[in-house]
Amino acid sequence: MRPLTGFELLRPRTLVGALEIMATLEGAQPIAGGTDLIPTFRDLGCKHRNLVDLGLIPELNYVFEDGRYVNIGPTTTHAQLQATNLIREKAQALHDAVDVLGSVQIRNRGTIGGNLCNASPAADTAPPLLVLDAEVAVSSLDDSRWMSLQELFAGPKTTTLDPDELLTGIRFPKTEGSGSAFHRLCRRRGFTLSVVNAAAYVDREGETCRSVRIALGSVAPTPVRIDEAEGELEGKRMTEALIDEAAEACRERVSPIDDVRGTAEYRRDMSAVVVRRALREAWRRAGGEL
Amino acid sequence: MTTFDLNGKSVAVEVKSTTTLLDLLRVQLGVTSVKKGCEQGECGACTVLLDGLPVTSCLILAPQVDGRHVTSVEGLAENPLMKELRNAFMENGAVQCGFCTPGMLLSSYALLRDNPHPSEEEVRAGIEGNICRCTGYVKIIEAIQDAAERIAPE
Repeated sequence: MRPLTGFELLRPRTLVGALEIMATLEGAQPIAGGTDLIPTFRDLGCKHRNLVDLGLIPELNYVFEDGRYVNIGPTTTHAQLQATNLIREKAQALHDAVDVLGSVQIRNRGTIGGNLCNASPAADTAPPLLVLDAEVAVSSLDDSRWMSLQELFAGPKTTTLDPDELLTGIRFPKTEGSGSAFHRLCRRRGFTLSVVNAAAYVDREGETCRSVRIALGSVAPTPVRIDEAEGELEGKRMTEALIDEAAEACRERVSPIDDVRGTAEYRRDMSAVVVRRALREAWRRAGGEL
Repeated sequence: MTTFDLNGKSVAVEVKSTTTLLDLLRVQLGVTSVKKGCEQGECGACTVLLDGLPVTSCLILAPQVDGRHVTSVEGLAENPLMKELRNAFMENGAVQCGFCTPGMLLSSYALLRDNPHPSEEEVRAGIEGNICRCTGYVKIIEAIQDAAERIAPE
């Protein structure tokens, strides 16, 4: 038995209680599903932390739509999202991602807020939420604000959150006549990290692409939107050739690294492939033909 | 004090925050069917059902199960679906060293409970979080499909 080390566990029952701990206790570290965090506690000598378990706070676990937005609470598990029709219908790319992310066991425990705040460049929920134009609510004891999801990511495994802040909400606008999709490339089908992942969102008007958003993961220090590729498509008649051009633009704009899962060169080439797949599927889901 | 339901019985234990559910079950409570493999949430040998859902007990801190239901294979000993799965695993040669088997059975149980007629693809996805280093999965997949047919004939 190799015990875990380096933390105390606090289990507040309200959001205010959690925010008070975050504001006052040195080394306060939020924990939701723990699927990314707990393995790190096996490293002896890791910095002592006060874990703030968000799992008992009902205000952080929800999925609902209002007039403008689909709203998701940060401690909503991937399995909960997988089973939610609202996500299947209004956020197809996100549904694709939570369908394949991790394993059954990880999806039952891991949360969407945790996936974002863990800030892995390969986080599978990030590209879908980026193309859905998601915003995140960031709260501290005396302030709460919405910011774009892109602003949350500071670098690999780093967010822009201050030590006393918690991610307390995720929302994205509801749209009609649009489609979105997520594709990823992995070394095997089940339970693995993405070598490259990508999501696309398209808003269709007849044969024309009215607006489009493309995001990639695992090809830069953070998940990224590729504006230049989006510009290739907007306001134009959608064709296979045009999708190829946008995919090529993505290939040129990414900045991947070599690691155990793939080389930078491979990731760069595969960026185009995965984007092409996501764009085609998003267009088809928006009711378009190619 | 952490109080929870383990296999239908209420259990109250003093446990440190740094103890995982896996160590609580194996060391303090003697439930050694829950296996310790990777301790990283990757291998699935420590799978238990938490409120009915498969989770890896190595990634759960013991106090986090306070007030909840934890089930290991022992808790389903008399369950008709689990009985069929057990028989199918034995008869199809789905067990070699047996280390992955309790976790494999719990994942299979949750799969068939929620989806009585899974396709082969769905069976594979249902046990994606359980690693077996002996069988190459073929016999395990056949056993799960066999159990599905026995419990809920088409």
